[in-house]
Amino acid sequence: MPPAEDFYSVLGVSRGASADEIQRAYRKLARTYHPDVNKDPAAEERFKQISEAYDVLSDPSTRQRYDAFGPDFRRVPEDADPATWGRARAGSSRARSSRSWEEEGFPEGVRFSTGSAEGIDLDDLFGGIFGGGGRRSSRGPISGPDQEVELELTVEEAYRGGTRKLTLEGPGGVRNVDVRIPAGVVSGQRIRLAGQGGQGSGGGAAGDLYLVVRIAPHPRYRLDGRDVIVDLPLAAWEGALGASVPVETPGGQATVKVPKGSSTGRRLRLKGRGLPNPRGTPGDLYAEVKLMVPHRLTREEERLFEELAGTSKFNPRRSR
Amino acid sequence: MSYQLTRPTRLGLEEFARLAGIHPDLVRRFVVLGLLEASTDSSGALWFVPGQLARVARIRRLRAGFALNYASLGLVLDLLDRIAVLEAERRRAARTGARTWI
Repeated sequence: MPPAEDFYSVLGVSRGASADEIQRAYRKLARTYHPDVNKDPAAEERFKQISEAYDVLSDPSTRQRYDAFGPDFRRVPEDADPATWGRARAGSSRARSSRSWEEEGFPEGVRFSTGSAEGIDLDDLFGGIFGGGGRRSSRGPISGPDQEVELELTVEEAYRGGTRKLTLEGPGGVRNVDVRIPAGVVSGQRIRLAGQGGQGSGGGAAGDLYLVVRIAPHPRYRLDGRDVIVDLPLAAWEGALGASVPVETPGGQATVKVPKGSSTGRRLRLKGRGLPNPRGTPGDLYAEVKLMVPHRLTREEERLFEELAGTSKFNPRRSR
Repeated sequence: MSYQLTRPTRLGLEEFARLAGIHPDLVRRFVVLGLLEASTDSSGALWFVPGQLARVARIRRLRAGFALNYASLGLVLDLLDRIAVLEAERRRAARTGARTWI
């Protein structure tokens, strides 16, 4: 069991909250964190806490006992006297505990029915699907819900594939899962981890966990499906005269042949150099020409450009 | 514990109810309320595809969590199904369709 959080703070209500306030807080939280509505694996544990807190606080007699005895109230015999119990507790564990029910003392006039202190049916308390839902749910195994988490990958990871260690929150704490990522996954693709989703109850099977791939923005690469687009900065004369230049691709360096007369915006295709496709043809890599001129010209460069300007009849603003 | 060699393609009412952990009468009621899909053969017996088991689990979770009656559960299930379809479409669009400048 995770460390017991105060039931009032789980529901976000004050200790003096009315039954209506408690119900309202619970309904709102349940709609947000119910595992069939919220696919985040962390929601499952949260929902259990919310349900358990509501189960205790919605029943006036268990709420009184919780107020009096704190999180251990289920272990306190039903005919225990709060004052005596409190003194015993305070004596044995004053140093470690600073819970508010000890500081505030016990509510005035709290009376506890002295029933037969029969053993508390723990199965009834914890056997329900979600925390204390035992009374509201029917018996029998219920398989767990499917869950989804986002898996952010770099373009390089999507290209190469490989394994990734994932840390998942869940009931029973944090667990690590090794996930094999196939080479060539794309944004929006789902990777299914069977049986790693929400827990079943009463012996029901766990649901599946889906990893939804999202490829992180990359400083150099843009993606269009499996095609990769990369800027190819060229000197103005390289675009004019043609050149063979190196370009970085996710799979390593490649050489791209720039034909004569390439202006900014021209796309040069490197077939099959995009993201691989496990079921079919890989994407292509497009090097997009971006002509650059020196920020500062040397005297010689300036002279040559002036000579070119005087000789050339080229006017890029005239429609062809 | 025994393992089946092959997954049956359809389940009879009793078998389905046993696997779902609920009473056959409740299964029948779910069908009448349109919460579960079932086919009826010539003798009037109900048959279920195994995928409907997950739906029963979802019905029971939602009912336990929200104290919904079965009629409103039908609406919730339909809406959740529609959201799932829309999300899948959005994922497909991100994968194949329009350019994403990421």
